[in-house]
Amino acid sequence: MSETDARLPDGFADLERFVPEWVCPDAVARMAKRQSSTIETLREFYDTMLPRGEAVLGCLREHQLGDLTPPVENLLRLMLMLAEVAPAVEWYGDPRVYDGFPVERVRYLRQISDTDAQPLAGEAA
Amino acid sequence: MNEMAKPPVPDLGLTERYPDIGRGPVDTAIYHEPAVYAKELEAILRPSWYMIGRVEQIPRAGDFFTCDLPTFGYELLICRDRQGDVNGFHNVCTHRGNVAEHRPDGHSAGLFTCRFHGWSFDLEGNLKRIRDEEGFFGCDKKKMGLRRIATGVWQGFIFVCPAEEPPQSLEEWLGEQGADTADYPWGQCTQSYQWECEIACNWKLVNDSPAEVYHIPVLHPNSAAPTMMASGNPMGRLLDVRIRGNHRTNSHYSVAGEPKPVQKLAYFHAAAAQNVSGAARDYPPGINPTRSPFWTVDLIMFFPTLSFTLSAGMYTAHQVWPLGPNRSLYRQRVFVQPARTAAERFGQENTMVEFRDVVMEDFSTLERIQRALDSGQIREFHYHDHELALRHQHHVVTEILAAYDRDQAVA
Repeated sequence: MSETDARLPDGFADLERFVPEWVCPDAVARMAKRQSSTIETLREFYDTMLPRGEAVLGCLREHQLGDLTPPVENLLRLMLMLAEVAPAVEWYGDPRVYDGFPVERVRYLRQISDTDAQPLAGEAA
Repeated sequence: MNEMAKPPVPDLGLTERYPDIGRGPVDTAIYHEPAVYAKELEAILRPSWYMIGRVEQIPRAGDFFTCDLPTFGYELLICRDRQGDVNGFHNVCTHRGNVAEHRPDGHSAGLFTCRFHGWSFDLEGNLKRIRDEEGFFGCDKKKMGLRRIATGVWQGFIFVCPAEEPPQSLEEWLGEQGADTADYPWGQCTQSYQWECEIACNWKLVNDSPAEVYHIPVLHPNSAAPTMMASGNPMGRLLDVRIRGNHRTNSHYSVAGEPKPVQKLAYFHAAAAQNVSGAARDYPPGINPTRSPFWTVDLIMFFPTLSFTLSAGMYTAHQVWPLGPNRSLYRQRVFVQPARTAAERFGQENTMVEFRDVVMEDFSTLERIQRALDSGQIREFHYHDHELALRHQHHVVTEILAAYDRDQAVA
């Protein structure tokens, strides 16, 4: 069973229609997904996810990074997508930033893994 | 509590504290003239120190990373040797000039081997092996090690200076502002996102962008404005500007506004990674220097091209790499505390996206300003009292260039 086949943890069947389309592997893909979507599509995702945010985070806080099951990974990545979509809906009413700078000109050089355990200060990376 | 409920409006009068800097309009020539840029390269940019990474990237002997200094076209190799020291080299094989190490990062068992002809260098940069050495005509291996670049570490940040002989040590360059900000828990934020974007404008315009908040209510109406100009500060004034030599710190006023819905989720479930703060804690004297309860963020500028937006639990490094009189490469690195749970990971993402988007709101304006400069349509800038940081930068650049001209005339 592949990761995206794993769907979502119990209790989140209502969000499964966003899997796998809104489950992106990293921040680069999330930014591209936002920029290639219409604001109406982003709004539909946002409007469905937001009321479930408390419940989703309640579930996610029970799971340690580095030890996530595929359904929890999917749920986390939907929530990371919500973070990417939020400014488009809440601030701009547009996939682009205010005053229209072409976001495609951004290049990521370093990312934080979506799912790996993160070392504390003093621990080896 | 009453004091918190009715915050004072920040006063005017910042500029008059620094009478040497003046108060009149300034000439914009330094923002676009190619001849000025050529002088800046030698007088300002080459003698300065540049932050290129953190020690956590190379915790063990043999760990390395490679990077570039875009302004100078340099490729560098940074590694930790067996004594635990951080070494910086020009990443250029001394045979024919290919990079000595081609990987972006990793671990070396003790040798860096060029992928062109297989010459090998050790962790101290010594040339250890020449393939088929007998075919050369008396190469002196002792003199053919990797060329060193001046390297130093401050608070876990690795700095290099591209000058052959740096006129200032790293500590001297950091100066009083470095000493006054040293004890912030810089090393606690072990996770970072980094991105870059080329902007068609002069490097000083990129510095100017976050260095005044006069524009915040207008250019960032929905993102940054609601907290920074909340009750009592409709013009979005600063708490303070503190000048220390060529460096400076802006302290930002803020009253917690009503967060947007997704921010609210992030603040509640993943507070550690967020750019929100109450009053100053046990911070060193250079951070929130006025000890205001209405402080959120300091913009700590190390002239010429490095600044930190720093709050209680996270910080962002802004590095500008000048590429010409009207071209710059902006690199942003958002540093956050490590997340343990998947919920906290969401908080990190929220912070990264907010900082990326807010900063990008400025870029279209920067390119428009540059077009007006290049075409001669604006020849002077008029600075507001709370645009003091920009006036200070103009003053510092003008003074350094004047001294450089005097030195050149004598030489």
